[in-house]
Formats: sequence, structure tokens, C-alpha cells
Amino acid sequence: MKNPLYKRLLRELKSEFGKYLVIFLLMTLTIGEISGFLVADESMIKAYNDSFTLYNVEDGNFALQTKADSALKQQLEALDITIYDLFYTDRILSNDSTLRIFQNREQVNLACVMEGRLASKPGEIAIDRMYADNNQLKVGDTISDGSNTWTITGLAALSDYSTMFESNSDSMFDAVKFGVAMVCPEEFSEFESNSLVYSYAWKYNDAPAGEKEEMERSQQLMKEINSLSPLKKFVPRYLNQAIQFTGEDMGSDRAMMTVLLYILIAILAFVFGITINSTIVKEANVIGTLRASGYTKRELIRHYMAMPLIVTLISALIGNIMGYTFFKNFNAGMYYGSYSLPTYVTIWSPQAFLETTLVPILLMLVITWLMLRRKLSLSPIKFLRRDLRSGRQHHAFRLKSSIPVFSRFRIRVFLQNSGSYLLMLVGILFANLLLMFGLIFPSILDHYQETITDNLLCNYQYLLEVPVELMAGDDSPETLLRMLAYVSQVQTDNEDAEEFSAYSLKTLSKGAYKGEEVLLYGIVDDSHYITLESDDNEVCISKAYADKFHLAKGDTITLKEQYDDKTYTFPIGGIYDYEGALAIFMPKSLLNHTFGLSDGYFSGYFSDTEITDIEEQYIATVIDLDALTKISRQLNVSMGGMMILVDAISVIMFLILIYLLAKIVIEKNAQAISMTKILGYENKEISRLYLLPTSIVVVTLLLLSLPLETAVMKYLFERIVMTELSGWIPIYFDPMMYVKMILLGIGAYVVVAVLEYRRIRRVPMEEALKNVE
Amino acid sequence: MFLELKQIKKSFGTGQSRVQVLKGIDLTLEKGEFCVMLGPSGSGKSTLLNIIGGIDQADEGEILIGGDRMADMDEKQLTLYRRRHLGYIFQMYNLIPNLTVRENIEVGAYLGTDPLPVEELLDTLGLTEHQNKLPNQLSGGQQQRTAIGRAIVKNPDILLCDEPTGALDYNTSKEILKLIETVNQKYGNTVILVTHNDALKDMATRVVKLRDGGIRKNYLNETRILAQDLDW
Repeated sequence: MKNPLYKRLLRELKSEFGKYLVIFLLMTLTIGEISGFLVADESMIKAYNDSFTLYNVEDGNFALQTKADSALKQQLEALDITIYDLFYTDRILSNDSTLRIFQNREQVNLACVMEGRLASKPGEIAIDRMYADNNQLKVGDTISDGSNTWTITGLAALSDYSTMFESNSDSMFDAVKFGVAMVCPEEFSEFESNSLVYSYAWKYNDAPAGEKEEMERSQQLMKEINSLSPLKKFVPRYLNQAIQFTGEDMGSDRAMMTVLLYILIAILAFVFGITINSTIVKEANVIGTLRASGYTKRELIRHYMAMPLIVTLISALIGNIMGYTFFKNFNAGMYYGSYSLPTYVTIWSPQAFLETTLVPILLMLVITWLMLRRKLSLSPIKFLRRDLRSGRQHHAFRLKSSIPVFSRFRIRVFLQNSGSYLLMLVGILFANLLLMFGLIFPSILDHYQETITDNLLCNYQYLLEVPVELMAGDDSPETLLRMLAYVSQVQTDNEDAEEFSAYSLKTLSKGAYKGEEVLLYGIVDDSHYITLESDDNEVCISKAYADKFHLAKGDTITLKEQYDDKTYTFPIGGIYDYEGALAIFMPKSLLNHTFGLSDGYFSGYFSDTEITDIEEQYIATVIDLDALTKISRQLNVSMGGMMILVDAISVIMFLILIYLLAKIVIEKNAQAISMTKILGYENKEISRLYLLPTSIVVVTLLLLSLPLETAVMKYLFERIVMTELSGWIPIYFDPMMYVKMILLGIGAYVVVAVLEYRRIRRVPMEEALKNVE
Repeated sequence: MFLELKQIKKSFGTGQSRVQVLKGIDLTLEKGEFCVMLGPSGSGKSTLLNIIGGIDQADEGEILIGGDRMADMDEKQLTLYRRRHLGYIFQMYNLIPNLTVRENIEVGAYLGTDPLPVEELLDTLGLTEHQNKLPNQLSGGQQQRTAIGRAIVKNPDILLCDEPTGALDYNTSKEILKLIETVNQKYGNTVILVTHNDALKDMATRVVKLRDGGIRKNYLNETRILAQDLDW
């Protein structure tokens, strides 16, 4: 015979439909979103990983100062690699963005055409799909660089540009102001040769076995190529941010999303636990009778666990269906908003299913089982006597009679519901942390933008294109001649311009932190732009550097060469107030001496006005306000929309949790409320007794939780910036954010309070007469 | 003998507020007996019933049921004992509010290895026409009849009734007593009925009077009358 108690379940569902519906919705939407995220993530990672073979992605690329002739190519290919031309030209378009134009690819780094077709005749162009989205361009539109006009024939994803890094040393990609495109060979041949970058992709004839071998081979290759022809740029694939960043970023979000899901399920399990507890209190006599009649504890635990588990199971199933449909598209859309990925095929992900179905059910099972086991371990007689306190008998908490009676009453309600209120604290913390995350993000980016604008080193930093052989540091007459030739090419008459030397090193990796590039500036004595307060043998680090690694004056820092293991240690003599980048400032003489560069060597200019008399080919990078704010601009594009969603989710979650817990407080006291009505209390007075304690608790918790949330947010933010971003964005807590959080919290609670007031009004007077003992 | 109680003692509270509720009860019942346990409030009759029912424990003494010592049973075995041998009826019916009359009875049937036919029982209890009603649609008497149905459907060896008519009016009380009597006669269960209503002693085969935690009188009722002839 099936346990007849199960017949209650459907009726329980009907009578408590509101409660189960909100829990179901919250759980389904969360599971749906996380499942959709995991499926999209996994499908896209697969598409991304497959793209390496499918689109024959390079093993690396390099650029030469001059075009390689066939003899040089033969020499290069003798290094056991295959070389492919991958020339490009960077064009500034009328919309002030840079478009890197290649010729249609046929052998390496192939493109995935996502809409339309590739360019087939002059005047046509196929552009990156994401760049098109971000600049509101579509097939059929025209774009112009002032001298050429192209009609867009197709939108594509280039396999070597899944992330739009204009330069591999950029701290952040920029999918708004930088894009890639392809034209037909006839069109490409029309570009003036001095505007072309002679870039080549290579593939190893026999692929290196592992990461270490790949690193060794690429370093060897760099030296060998450089000895054949001076290198302008050398980027092996494993260091190419435009290729690698997507894969690394997609993988890293997984853990955070799954943890979010588990926290929410645990909170809901506790909500279930508390509602079950209140049901148990309500049904104590029945439970006592059933236990006295021979029902086992296990049978009753199973019975009371059934509903939470059924709701979780249905939520998990429907959530997963939604995850594979609506939410998958939504999340894939978010990836497509940040990365230029090829088309993907949805794959069935057993791990996602496990994480969004089995684990939530298990979590619900374990938490509700533990809570029920504790509650139902009381003896049947205790249930019959409605004495449901476990352990020793507690005396009533003594309250001074000088306290007004209404206040005493409220204190009793508070004590009676301390468990619910504790859970409320956890719920408020969690929901508010999410809300803070959603609200803080735009304010951090705005603040960052303002800070950067206020403390620029100068309006323009020019990093010059230094011939690689000058970096070798040898004093041969040939090198000195080259140096003279270089200096004559990069001289400027701009009176604002001030020389500096620069060198790039890398921070040491540690755990999840992979290390990043740091620019070292060698500053001339009596600089107009930077005043160093450190001793001659010490360095100053930028404030961003100090904040990111918690460094102070007197500490030392160790950095390493980008492409080998040679390390350098510098004592910190001061912190320079500069938020724009991780940078190190030292006297020019110290820098040149440290890296074996000649005394007269310099590789850039600071200037407050634009330098116009150096040919573009000698300028590698210009760091201006636009370049420095690239990171905040891109983060706004990638995540700005999501933050509004996070705000909405957190407010909904807040509403639901407070609603459920406030409802329990009222339901638990239904009989007493009914009795007070019989005694002649008005609804308003009853609300002051039973609703006001919850209101006080909610407002107090809202206020008290803020410092804790601030501390947690600070910790999380630093961790995220540390592991996910190159560079540094300081956290900023806008006072208005706190005001918004409190107002949103109170606003949401007012909605709940109105609903609960209605519930109090609806408690019938017969309730008190139903179960008189 | 079927049920044997030896020197059962039970106290509540600690220190100076400690009260001895049962001061050494000795009692023996045969199978099929209808025992009415009488006593004023605080005499220990409900406590004794709960100890027999295995839902409360004696501080001292021994209970033997069909030869098995209750003290040797762990919690699991006690549950099994209640499941197999006991039926409980309380003053406050304690029905499951969102199950119908029939389903409440089925909750009891589920526990029995050879339960009585529910249809027949509904008929015996006069509940056939109310079988699909929820408890809040029933009168007090109907609710108590349902509670009786739930207790006896598994055909327990012992039926423990704690003030089963305490919340009912005169006529309904007689109706319920008649029903318990019928059950006792029809199915042969041992019935222990706790009450403070002295008039009920006349329907018993054995009368046990308790006062101040001890048995004041324990005798076989030679002049048993039917429940329908009771008057108080």
C-alpha cells in the first residue's frame, strides 16, 4: 500500500500555492540561467577549441621591418615552420575607430562568415561581426577611411581575433573602437606599401609536445628569425591575447556562477526548512498521534521532505529545459557581445546537468533532512504536548515590566522568530551583495574614468618603434650607426616633448594570477612631467601597482623578462600617484644601465601637445586618454547590460526571501492573531505587534549588513581584478550606492509589508476556536 | 496474561519541584479486556497510558507485553511495537487536516500488516456518507469516529483511549463509547480507556481507580452494562 500521507502533497501545493510558486520561480529562473550559462559556456568553449583546427589557427605571428623576399622566406621555412603572409593595414575610420584590414584568408587563421559573404571585388569588405554590432553596422552599409569607401558584404569572425586586442600589450581589448576586416586581393594590393605591416603567421611543421616545449621553441625561433631579419613584433600563440583571452575568460566564470547557484539553493533549502518547521509546530498533535500509532521518524521525514524535493526536481527539469533554450541564447548573446566567436553547436553537457540538477537536489535533500531529523527526533509525547523545544527546558526570557506592553509583546515575537530572522540576515546579505555588485560596477568605472582624466602623466605618451637590434645593447659600430639613424628619424621640434626610455618586464605569476606586463619608464633629470622622490638606485611604482599588490615604500619588487627567466629586483623608494597603469618610474640612466642600453637611448616621448613631426611608422603606440580609458569603456560594453539584470535579480530575490520569511512569522502566529482580534484589537494594532518586529529587523539588517557587504565586496573585487584583468581598477564605494541600496531594500519590504498586512486582515476569528486545548 | 505492569514509577521536574506522578503501579490485563481507568486530574492516568503506549518512559519498573520486556526495546523497536500492537485515540482527535475521512483512516491502515477492510469500517463507524469530507467539515463526534477508525483499522492488540469523549456532548459521547465497545467485542482488542467520568466504569470488564500516583482500586466488573445504558 502506498503511504496515504502522500495524498496530502497536492492539497498542500494548492493551499500554499503562492509560497511554492515564488520558490519555484526563483529556483527555476536561477537554475535556468546557470544551466544556460554553463551550456553556452561549454558549447562556446568547444566551438572555440575546435576553431584551432577547423580554421587552421596559427602557432604564432611576427612582423618584420621589411617585406620578406622569397630567399628570406626559404630561410625562415628552413626553421621547420611554414610561413603565411598575413599583411594588414590599420585604417582610422570616419567613426573614429581603427579597422585592421587583411586580405581574404585562404590558408591560415580562416574566417567564419556569419552573415552575408566575403568581399569578392574592390569596394567590398567583410567586417568583424562584433565590431559591426558595437558600431551599429550591418551588411549593405558603407564605411570610409576618408580616402576609400567600402560596402559591407558580410559579417565574420576571424579565428585569430576572438578578442579585439589591437596590440598584444594592451591591458584590455576594445571591441568598440577596434575591429578587423577583410577585402579581396585586388583591393588589398591597392593599399600603399608604407601603410602595410608585414606580418607573418607561422605553423610548426611538427607541433611542440607541451607548453614548455612550445615556449622553448618559440624563444629559439624568435632569436633565429631576428638574426635573419630584424623583428618588429613576435607573438607566439600561447601569449597572443587576441586568441587566448577568450578561452581563459570563458573558463574562469564557471566556478563563480556555480557557487552562486549553490548559495541560492542552500538559502532556499533553509527557507523550506523554516516553513517545514512552522508546519511541524502547527501539526504537532497530528505528528504525535502518527508517531504514537507507529509511524517511524523516517517515514515522517520523508513525507515532509517530499514537497521541497519535488519543487526542486521540477525546477531543475524546467530550469534545464529553459537553460538549453532561452537562457542559452541569452548567455551566448552575452559572449557574442564581448568576443568575436564563430558559430557554435549546442552540446549536451553532463557536467552542467549534474551541477544544475543533481547537486541542487542533493543540497536540498541534505539540508532539509538535517533540519527535519533534528526537529522530528523529539519523542511522540513531546509532540502531543506541543512541547517542541529540544534539549533542556528553557525558561521564558524575563522582560522588565517597565517596558511598555506592546514593546514586550514585540520582543517576544522577535525571540519566537529568531531562527527566521537569522535566515533573513543570510538572505539579505546575499541579495544585497548581488545588488551591490550590480550597482557598484558602473560607479567604479565612472570613478576610474574620472581619476584617470585627473592624473594623466601627460596628454600624450608616444612609444617609439625601436629597431630590435638596438635593444641588444651591443656597442658595435654598426649598432651605433643604426642608433644614430634611429634618433634622427624620431627627433621632434615639439617643445613639450620630453624623452624617456622604456622597458617592458613581467610580474611573477602566483597561483591563479598569471603575471602581466609592466612598463618601466626611465625619466630624465628635472622632468617636466614626473618628479621622482626616490633615491637614484630606487624606483617609484605607480599607485595602481602599489594598490594591486599592496606594496609600500621600503618593499622590493621582482620582475622577469617577458621571454626568458631572467629576473630583476628593485627597491621601492616611493609611490607615484598614477592610476593609469601598472608602471615603474626610475631615472633614465638607471633604466638604461640596468638593461644594458646605451646612455643616449630613449624610446618615447611625454608631451602635453600632439607630436606631428614624427612619421607614423616610427610610432608604435600613443597612450592618450582614449587608450587609458579603453578598459573601463570595454567593461561597460561587455558587462553594463548584465549589471541591470543583476540589480533586478537581487531585488526579486530580496522580495521573495523577505516575503517567505515574513509570511512564516504571520502564519506561525495565526491563532494568536485571531485571538487578539477576538479580544478586540484592531488590524493596525495587530500589525504593530506582528509586522513591526519584522520591519525593524529588516531595516536594522539592511543597515547592519552594509559594512559586511562592503568588506566582502572589496575582497571579491580585488580577487577578480587580480586574476581576471591586466592592470588595476581601484574599487570605489559611491555614497549614493548605499542610499540606493537602502531605498531599494525598504521599497521592496514595503511591498512585502502591504501583502502581510492583508494577510493579517484575512486571519479569521474562528482560527482561535479551531484547536483549543 | 497479556499485559503486565510491575512497580511502575514516574516523576516530573527536578529538585524541590519534583513531583512523583506514579508511585509504583502493578497491573495485569488479559487479552480482550475492556479496562476503564478512572481518576481525578493529576492522578497519573494519562501518564500511565503513555507509558503503556511506549511514548513515555517509566523511571523504574517493568512492562511486559505478550512476554516482551518493553525496557529491552530501543527506539526503533518501540516504534515497531506501536506500529504492530497499538491504536491510539485522543481527546483532541488530531486528524490530518488536509486528508479526507477515508484517507485519514487509510493512514492507519497503511501501518497494519493485515488491516480491516476500510469500507466495512466506514460502515461500522457510520462514516460512509462522510468519507470524502475533510475534518473541518465534520462535527466533533464525526471527527472522533474518524480518529477511532484510524486507530482500529490496523486491528491493534491494544486500543488506548485518552479521554475520548472529553470534548463531546452527552449523546455524541455515548455514540463514541458504543463504538469502542463494538470494536472491542467485534475484534477482540484489549481496550484501556482513561477518563475522569466515573459513570463509564460500568461498561468495563475491569476498573482501575487511580489517586495520587497509586492504584486505589482494581477489580473485575461483574455487573457490566452496555454503553447505550450508561447515564451520567
